Amino acid sequence: MKGTYLGEFEELVLLTVGALYPEAYGVAVMDEIKKETGRTVNISAIHSALRRLDDKGFVKSKMGGATNERGGRRKRYFELTSQGKKALDEAQSLRLKLYNRITDISLGGS
Amino acid sequence: MSKQQHISPPRLAKRFLRLYCRQEFLEEIEGDIYELFDRRVSQKPRRARWLFCWDVLRFFRPMNIKRIKTTNSNIINMTRNNFKVAARVLWKQKTNTVLNIGSIAVGMACFILIGLYVRQELSFDKFHDKGDRIYRTWTKEDYGQGQQFFYTSSPLPLAPTLEANIPEVEATVLVDYSNFLVGDGENRLNERVAFVSPNFFDVFSFKLLKGNVQKPLERNTIVLSEDYALKYFGSEEAVGKHITLQVNDNKVSYEVSAIMANMPSNTGFQMNMIVSNEDKERFYNPRALQAWFNIAPETFVLLRENTSAQEVVEKFPEMINSVLGDRIEEGQYELGLQLLEDIHLNPDFPAASMPVGNPRYVYVLATIGMLVLVMACINYTTLSTGQSIRRSKEVGIRKVVGAQKGGLIWQYLSESILITAFATLAGVALALFLLPTFNHLAGTQIAIIFDLQNLLLLISIILLVGIATGLYPAFVLSNLKLINILRGGKSGGRGAGIFRKSLVVFQLLLTIFLISGSLIMRQQLNFLQSSDVGYEKDAMVYVNLYPKEGANGMLNGIVSGFENAELLKARLSQYPEVSGLGAANHMFGSTGWTQVGFNDVNGQFRQFYVLATDAHFVDGFNIAMKEGRAFDEDMEVDKRESIIINQAAVDYFGLEDPVGKKLPGNDFGNHRIIGVTENFNFQSLHTDVEPLIIVQNLSPIFAGISDVTINDNPIPKVFFKYTGQNLLAVRDILDEAWSELFPNEELNFSFIDERLRLLYENEARVNKIAGVATVISILIAAFGLLGLTILVVNTKVKEIGIRKVLGASPITIMNILLRQFSIQLGLAFLISIPVTWYLMNQWLSDFAYRVDIGLLVFVASGFLSFLIMLSVIVYHAVRASRINPVNALRVE
Repeated sequence: MKGTYLGEFEELVLLTVGALYPEAYGVAVMDEIKKETGRTVNISAIHSALRRLDDKGFVKSKMGGATNERGGRRKRYFELTSQGKKALDEAQSLRLKLYNRITDISLGGS
Repeated sequence: MSKQQHISPPRLAKRFLRLYCRQEFLEEIEGDIYELFDRRVSQKPRRARWLFCWDVLRFFRPMNIKRIKTTNSNIINMTRNNFKVAARVLWKQKTNTVLNIGSIAVGMACFILIGLYVRQELSFDKFHDKGDRIYRTWTKEDYGQGQQFFYTSSPLPLAPTLEANIPEVEATVLVDYSNFLVGDGENRLNERVAFVSPNFFDVFSFKLLKGNVQKPLERNTIVLSEDYALKYFGSEEAVGKHITLQVNDNKVSYEVSAIMANMPSNTGFQMNMIVSNEDKERFYNPRALQAWFNIAPETFVLLRENTSAQEVVEKFPEMINSVLGDRIEEGQYELGLQLLEDIHLNPDFPAASMPVGNPRYVYVLATIGMLVLVMACINYTTLSTGQSIRRSKEVGIRKVVGAQKGGLIWQYLSESILITAFATLAGVALALFLLPTFNHLAGTQIAIIFDLQNLLLLISIILLVGIATGLYPAFVLSNLKLINILRGGKSGGRGAGIFRKSLVVFQLLLTIFLISGSLIMRQQLNFLQSSDVGYEKDAMVYVNLYPKEGANGMLNGIVSGFENAELLKARLSQYPEVSGLGAANHMFGSTGWTQVGFNDVNGQFRQFYVLATDAHFVDGFNIAMKEGRAFDEDMEVDKRESIIINQAAVDYFGLEDPVGKKLPGNDFGNHRIIGVTENFNFQSLHTDVEPLIIVQNLSPIFAGISDVTINDNPIPKVFFKYTGQNLLAVRDILDEAWSELFPNEELNFSFIDERLRLLYENEARVNKIAGVATVISILIAAFGLLGLTILVVNTKVKEIGIRKVLGASPITIMNILLRQFSIQLGLAFLISIPVTWYLMNQWLSDFAYRVDIGLLVFVASGFLSFLIMLSVIVYHAVRASRINPVNALRVE
């Protein structure tokens, strides 16, 4: 299956979903990203990323209960799947592995 | 808080979201943007609403949009599938596709180019807003005995008379042109200036770009076209500047009041400088202003809305009677109206300043364009019918699976429409690419305009051509008998074969016809241009002169022009390359020489042309004398009263032994015929030689005539033969001599043979366009033959193999293939002879002097088409005959 690759923004969203558990829904994810990284993201971009992650099987979702807020619309809550966790682990370890190979020499240069 | 309750998200955005959003995502999306809205609205309500809209728009992405429910419709699915199959088939048979698309594209390009030309001709002056109410007056005077005059220009008093007497006339516009010297001091240019009624721009729809758009034409203001504003003032602002015109004897300073968009090429008015004729005395002499029988400008009449021209015309006799009643009898003076839109393509009315085209040429070209397109369509039909054998299995399977006949037809039609659409795109691109070449070649100024009308036209052409080409193959394919196909037997009945063959014959017939037709046209044009006109025309140059300042009236103008001619002749005679100097007041290559009429001794009305020359006209042009002598420079009597007439005049007047006699009129001054020339053709070869009288002194002739018609500049010209090597050096010589003698006037000279060529410009243009169409049709026919050859070779692979095994030589095999087409070509050739003969004789009947259609033309075109066929077929035939029979037979 093509598309199991994790993009930079997708990874960020995926991490946020994991961090916010069990309160991860569209607006919450957006706020969190804004808070942590300072990036202003349109809500539609969050939705797209979440849906792609869902398609790839990295997150799963369910509708929350009825509320009186937000015009009476229910929220869709997302949570990490084990596959999503694995993808994050892999990304993390790959990053670490490469990071550790950065020698002092290349830093001394600048 | 209560304030907050009022503000809700924009309704429109909400609705739009609901409209496009997929049901399953709607709730969460709505929820999230409502939440954001609630949060923002407490701070900046207005901004919140904007952001809400923005969010809705941002969610408008493919993944959120509802799937269209109708996608499951069978028709749409099948059509999509049809196009897919078509694309695959086309891709698979690349040669075929290239040939098909290529020929339709080339045919389409040709059709588009010719169509644009035809459309321009047909659209002449059809763009005026009030065009359906604008008429031009015409007049017929008939005094019996052949004394008839028919003209579309009009006397000056007509316009005010119409306005005063006929209430239905809303406005009249006079349009006239003259050449004035423009500029002051050095560098005066001779320009054609239009002088029109001040309401010109109210009646005709020409666009004024800037300046005084409301009242551009006042006594001393001039309107320039964009081009001329650029010519005279460069990049400076022209409006408000002054420009000097020499109007007859007065220098008048005009202020530029407005700039007009360049007139389009499809109008009979070709004006770049327009002034008002409000001050009529400035342009016309006082007598002409009153004269009813002096014809000068064209009068255009704007009728009121909802009046018919018929009603108005019925009131004319009464009006004429009240103005002219005492001078004419009943029925002698008839006035009428011609619709402006009708002028350009109606040769029944004499031309005035508005150019008149020959509608026949327009139709001929339109037909040629259609024929070329038809040929391209035939290619597709024959090739795809031929292909049907290959595709019969596909049809069989489809039928077994349950395809309906209608479905199959639609499938093949969509295929041909697809091909046509591609080909048309390619054709439009090709036409765009070839347009400059075409314009250059045909001397036209057409442009491709991408407007809605043309687009719709193009789409309908695609559909029409697609359906026309695809219909027959579609029926053939869908009619195949299921059993026959699947059994693997022969498919396609005899009828299909004959139909296909006759299409090929028809196509070849068109090609041969176009080849012979353009050959005959070329022959005729060559004949016209090279035929002996009876005078020297090679390397003959003439220079236009101007009358001296202060020379009023035509006769004085001519006399003073001859005085200037003597100056120029004396100066030019110093150059060794110049010989045969002379002067005359008309020159070969322009029609409209001075024609005069008089009543002869028997009271019969007679007309002849008259030409004023110096003593060297006859010997300068090497015109052969039949009897008598030419003018002698040293004889004073020649300057006064000797006249020379041509043979046509001798015949016309019925003179016997004419030398020493007089013309048969009562009122002529002293004159004597001293010589008779052989007939030389001083007009165009469309007409026979007419009676001509050559004089040095016009007065005795003018004393005895009752009317004059002049449609050419009557001011004398100096002519000479240039014997130098380099024709370009003529300009240097003339520049030198001219600037010394007439530093204030513009030098204006032409070569006579060039002017003669212009007389046949119309024919030359048609011939060139037809020539292009012929080459294209040859190309298309070659494409078609190539496709058919490949097809035949493919279907006969086994036959050829078996024949070779049995010992047939390559020649025999080539013969088999050639025979296929030779019969069709032969048949087409035979049919083409009478068709060409008949149609081309129709065309040739326009000329007084014409070539005979010889057998040679047909031999040539037959040979040419055979050669083309051979060169197209031979390669594949040779390849087929060389093929190793094992390869052909091993297949199974």
